[in-house]
Amino acid sequence: MKSGVRLKYRPGDPGDFLRVDAAKCNACGECARFCPRGVWKKDADVYRPAAPGLCAECGACWNVCPADAVIMDEPRGGTGVRFSLG
Amino acid sequence: MENREKSAHYDVAVVGAGCAGPAAALQAASMGLRTILLEKAAIPGEKNVSGTCLNTAALSDPDLHYLLDGPVEREIRSMKTYHITEGRTTVFHEIPSTGILLLSIRRDRFDAWHTERARKAGAEVRAVRGVVTDKGERILSRVVIDGGGVNSIVGRKAGLIPRRSGTRMILYVTAAVRLGKKKIDERFGNTIEYYLAPGCQYKTWPWIFPKRDVVTLGTGGYMTPELFDDGHPHLVSYMERFMDLLPVRERIYDGKIEAWGLHLEFDDQLPKHAKDGLILAGEAGGFVAPFLGEGMPEAFFTGIYAARAAAAGIKAGDLSAAFLEGALAAALDENLFLKSFMYVAQKNKESILAKPDPEIAEMMQSVVMGGGFITNVVHTDWMSAAETGDVEKAREAKDFLEFLQPYRNIGSDFEAVYAARKKK
Repeated sequence: MKSGVRLKYRPGDPGDFLRVDAAKCNACGECARFCPRGVWKKDADVYRPAAPGLCAECGACWNVCPADAVIMDEPRGGTGVRFSLG
Repeated sequence: MENREKSAHYDVAVVGAGCAGPAAALQAASMGLRTILLEKAAIPGEKNVSGTCLNTAALSDPDLHYLLDGPVEREIRSMKTYHITEGRTTVFHEIPSTGILLLSIRRDRFDAWHTERARKAGAEVRAVRGVVTDKGERILSRVVIDGGGVNSIVGRKAGLIPRRSGTRMILYVTAAVRLGKKKIDERFGNTIEYYLAPGCQYKTWPWIFPKRDVVTLGTGGYMTPELFDDGHPHLVSYMERFMDLLPVRERIYDGKIEAWGLHLEFDDQLPKHAKDGLILAGEAGGFVAPFLGEGMPEAFFTGIYAARAAAAGIKAGDLSAAFLEGALAAALDENLFLKSFMYVAQKNKESILAKPDPEIAEMMQSVVMGGGFITNVVHTDWMSAAETGDVEKAREAKDFLEFLQPYRNIGSDFEAVYAARKKK
């Protein structure tokens, strides 16, 4: 049911704000497990943010990664996910 | 550091125009400090998914009275709590004889209003594109106040915000259902609802908050492996089950889901909130009590206190971590609202983590003095004192109940202040 959640995004390139440090990743898959948006996918020996366009910027992946392999910066100003109601 | 001092364009740079940021910028500018407020969202508030009801017990504090001028969606005057077990559903409906419990708001409108208020007070407001502003400048200030939220990049780069999960972090999913004002008036009126039902949450309390023509629903759980089991392969399945509960179905029938949200809330304390020239406020500083659905007052208060700490540090010529942390801690220590809420949240978290959900629902059903979070704390302390014959503990429970009484009777005073400000 992951596809059931539709988020709104501002148009524009958010930049390369979500990455993996492949040297640190131990492929435990916690990022993919806790990501509510299905952003992370296994690619050979590491997990990568395969669908960054779906990212909700919640930071679950960065917080839960035991290897400190998730690199989470900010999307470029004026871009990325948008909410309204709280 | 000396170079930075000399070339500083501003006394205070505030990062993030959510709740803490505009409060800090407004306070700093009002004290005559050269202040800049930086925000990366196209509209302040639209990077937020939580924080939708302002607690009037907190707004009774004169420091926060100006917030009553902000845009309000609905005045909440009662609260229903549904405790659902296999056997029965009990509904606890709390209606204060006078007064408004909460002010339901929209974060995009409210934060934009708050930011404008800070600008009018003299703070410069600037849109940010990345690590530099949209004009490509470098901003230098004597003090930075970080109001950048739970995962603030400022606090993380400063080493003050660590990675957190397990029972220190809650992952929520929210949904907004458009029903129109008439249906919300009929089905909710001015009542917010909390639920505790089988399979609808993991150690949290699902909610429905009415806005003017939309209601927001939320649920989630602590970031432990138990969050995902056979019944819950994904966070969204908690929301699906919640929406499928009979009382919820009856309320959102004929509505249209128009927005979703996903967010994290920190449910613990950070050991440090300052570094030389830097103070963390709001969620960046871990000032939030997700268990009680409290975060905005904590952010407003700590934003204001951070600005005052910055002003005191500038005056004293001491912007060290120790000075700033001390000034912030002293202000927090005098705020009884924050202290009592932290106590209630901590006590409830302990009892929630110690028991399986069905037992918690049963426990809440049999809390003889009521069903609220505060009475749960008092009741739990009281019962354990009775079981062990611990007179001292029973006295503490009684003292705490008495300590909280002023907050139960704030209604009429608050109503008068609110009415007077709305008239203006």
